[in-house]
Amino acid sequence: MAHQAHAYHMVDPSPWPLTGAISALLMTSGLATWFVYKTTTLLFLGTTLLLLTMFQWWRLIIRESTFQGHHTTPVQKGLRYGMVLFITSEVFFFIGFFWAFYHSSLAPAIELGGLWPPTGITPLDPFEVPLLNTAVPLASGVTVTWAHHSIMEGARKPALQSLTLTVLLGLYFTALQAMEYYEAPFTLADGVYGCTFFVATGFHGLHVIIGTTFSMVCLLPHTHYHFTSNHHFGFDAAAWYWHFVAVVWLFLYISIYWWGS
Amino acid sequence: MYRHIHALQQVARRTISSSVRRQLDNKVQNKQKLFQEDNGIPVHLKGGVSDALLYRTTMMLTVVGAGYVVYELVKAAFPRNKT
Repeated sequence: MAHQAHAYHMVDPSPWPLTGAISALLMTSGLATWFVYKTTTLLFLGTTLLLLTMFQWWRLIIRESTFQGHHTTPVQKGLRYGMVLFITSEVFFFIGFFWAFYHSSLAPAIELGGLWPPTGITPLDPFEVPLLNTAVPLASGVTVTWAHHSIMEGARKPALQSLTLTVLLGLYFTALQAMEYYEAPFTLADGVYGCTFFVATGFHGLHVIIGTTFSMVCLLPHTHYHFTSNHHFGFDAAAWYWHFVAVVWLFLYISIYWWGS
Repeated sequence: MYRHIHALQQVARRTISSSVRRQLDNKVQNKQKLFQEDNGIPVHLKGGVSDALLYRTTMMLTVVGAGYVVYELVKAAFPRNKT
């Protein structure tokens, strides 16, 4: 067996990038066929393929790292850079929506009545459910930090408990937001207020679901003894992502819910 | 009476903790041996038969899906209603 003379990871060819790309094609065309023809076959097929790809690709990474030892220090450094750059790109994604919100709300058009919130819009009270929805991500930031310190200290049970709590808080946030969406006196179609509100908070909600799933998936390797006290990058990445999601909410709350009311 | 409850608690605790230990043993070393075997199999298939089955299912869905998208696109681009 040939041995490499460097510390980097030359991966075996795998089919998952292809299946992932096709699943993206299927999901986007599926959305189009759903909107136009009301059929959901393509969308369903695309989602199934996406889930299969995610499962097999991330299982592959666990095999390459935990079981084959390919994640040396330089490799881990590259992965860290990668995650940081990805989160940075997401920050810019949200900056776009905040830009749209401030563009419309700082100088409200005459068609809105020249004021913000526009005439006819009853905004949500920022000191009711939205305030609870601020306490929840802040608390989950504490629990995920607790989980991190537990993992670093090799404290298996506290790590499991705190990570589970983090996931539960994430699910609680999603449930509360879903309820708020249902009860809101305005909709996505209610002019620029409804649009900026639901697009910004909606994409944030999607990211909460992604972050919760990421943390939930971390429970599996943890219970199977994959994380060591100084090498647990999967968990680090999940924790960074989770903090990012919480910070976006803080900005959303202050700008759209509080200042925007 | 409390001694009985205490004894029951001990038994339950020992049973639960021993069954948990049986289910969630540290199997990382076994997996490391399996995946480091020098048999030329690529990592995504190295876990066994279930790997190959899942791979084949995924690939089949990929091919069928890609074909279906092309079909739908052609259908959408060349509408067949001639009224």
